[in-house]
Amino acid sequence: MDPSSQDPARRDSLRHVRRMSNWTAAILIAGTGTAAVALAHQATQATATAAPAAGTAAGTTGTSATAGPRVTHSVAATTASGVTVTTTTRTVNGKTVVTRVGHAPAGGDS
Amino acid sequence: MAAGAARASAWQRVRAGDDAVSVAERAALGTGARLVVWPPENLGVACAVVDDVLATLDRQASRFRPDSELSWLNAASGGLFLLGDGLAEAVAVALAAARWTGGLTDPTIADALVSLGYDRDFAAIDEDGEPLGAAVPAPGWPLVRLDGPLLRLPRGIRLDLGATAKGLGADRAVRAVRSATGQRGGVLVSLGGDIAVAGTPPLGGWPVTVAEEPDPDGAPCGQLGGQLVRLAAGALATSSVTVRRWQRGGAALHHIVDPRTGRPADGPWRTVTVAAATCADANAASTAAIVAGAAAEDWLVATGLPARLTGHDGRVRGLNGWPGRQIAAGGPIPVPAGSRVYAGGPR
Repeated sequence: MDPSSQDPARRDSLRHVRRMSNWTAAILIAGTGTAAVALAHQATQATATAAPAAGTAAGTTGTSATAGPRVTHSVAATTASGVTVTTTTRTVNGKTVVTRVGHAPAGGDS
Repeated sequence: MAAGAARASAWQRVRAGDDAVSVAERAALGTGARLVVWPPENLGVACAVVDDVLATLDRQASRFRPDSELSWLNAASGGLFLLGDGLAEAVAVALAAARWTGGLTDPTIADALVSLGYDRDFAAIDEDGEPLGAAVPAPGWPLVRLDGPLLRLPRGIRLDLGATAKGLGADRAVRAVRSATGQRGGVLVSLGGDIAVAGTPPLGGWPVTVAEEPDPDGAPCGQLGGQLVRLAAGALATSSVTVRRWQRGGAALHHIVDPRTGRPADGPWRTVTVAAATCADANAASTAAIVAGAAAEDWLVATGLPARLTGHDGRVRGLNGWPGRQIAAGGPIPVPAGSRVYAGGPR
């Protein structure tokens, strides 16, 4: 059974054109050249739009770090894939205590 | 709005020690997500839009969800497909990363991962399963053709986007938060430790810990050392062979697989952290460096990306301006501009 028939939303976003040989695919692409070019053009535009704002990371970054608030404690951790590090801060007897705890999650990579 | 409120409730507020920012965490994508924003009042909106981004990415690119678009694609045994914009972007990024890394990352690696037993949610893997069969090298990313949304996937090739998907998700999330908050303030999103930032950073950059991973032989996860760095823009990602490990026939395996051999990477570096303009770039580079093994330093130097490598013997090597231990009092990581994985090339 065509899996897409089970899910109309899927059918809209992901359509299996059909399995075909290399030659058949080539003929199809050539035959629908105009449509394919239009689709590809749209996709290119969408990708370009969707790409992250590398401009905000432009140059050798660090020069724009002048207008934000002062933050002195670590707010996140980069660590081994899938390990989440929880950083919490509390005040004990007037002293700041920072605790970091690592958790190996149960899930898989995305 | 009820649905939005329900989604937002998955987030847990976290005290991070500074009232100038708001921090929240939740489970997502089989790992943990952390969101940090300033001004603090941006948090509610930010949580809602990050939820949407992560849910969408999961539906598009998860190999572990049978109802994801990627799973449907992989189940179709090859063919010509018209992809939705989101999955098309995810595949495009994965293929661009493969091209950039010379195949050190490769989205056609799915069957190699399955052959090693990484065919289900990590928690469900049999920790001491049957002995390994023959290695299954990746067929090779050049066999996959993507032209805009049109994907040609040869029969027998299945895709795994794990080397770039979390980075892509973090990049999408910070962009969505910026848009939803009127480009006001700044945001940091971490997905399982892969971090993207956008907007105006805190003074000197976002303080981020580069954490040492737990010892694979049993040191408690909570005993994390690390280095404090500051990230003013761009992203940080870390890959390591010390987590997501399992046994097969007495052999210790991990999830970073060399596409060329179909076996877990066995180079001299146990953990690599890379800074780049985007999280997908950093994600791909850190994975590629682990796979590159002894060639990792040369490859990373050529990229110009600041990187921190930790060897199995504990030695630490910094490259391309990676800050020294005293960075807490210094400037942010010098992240070069330009992406190698978005829109076909550096920009």
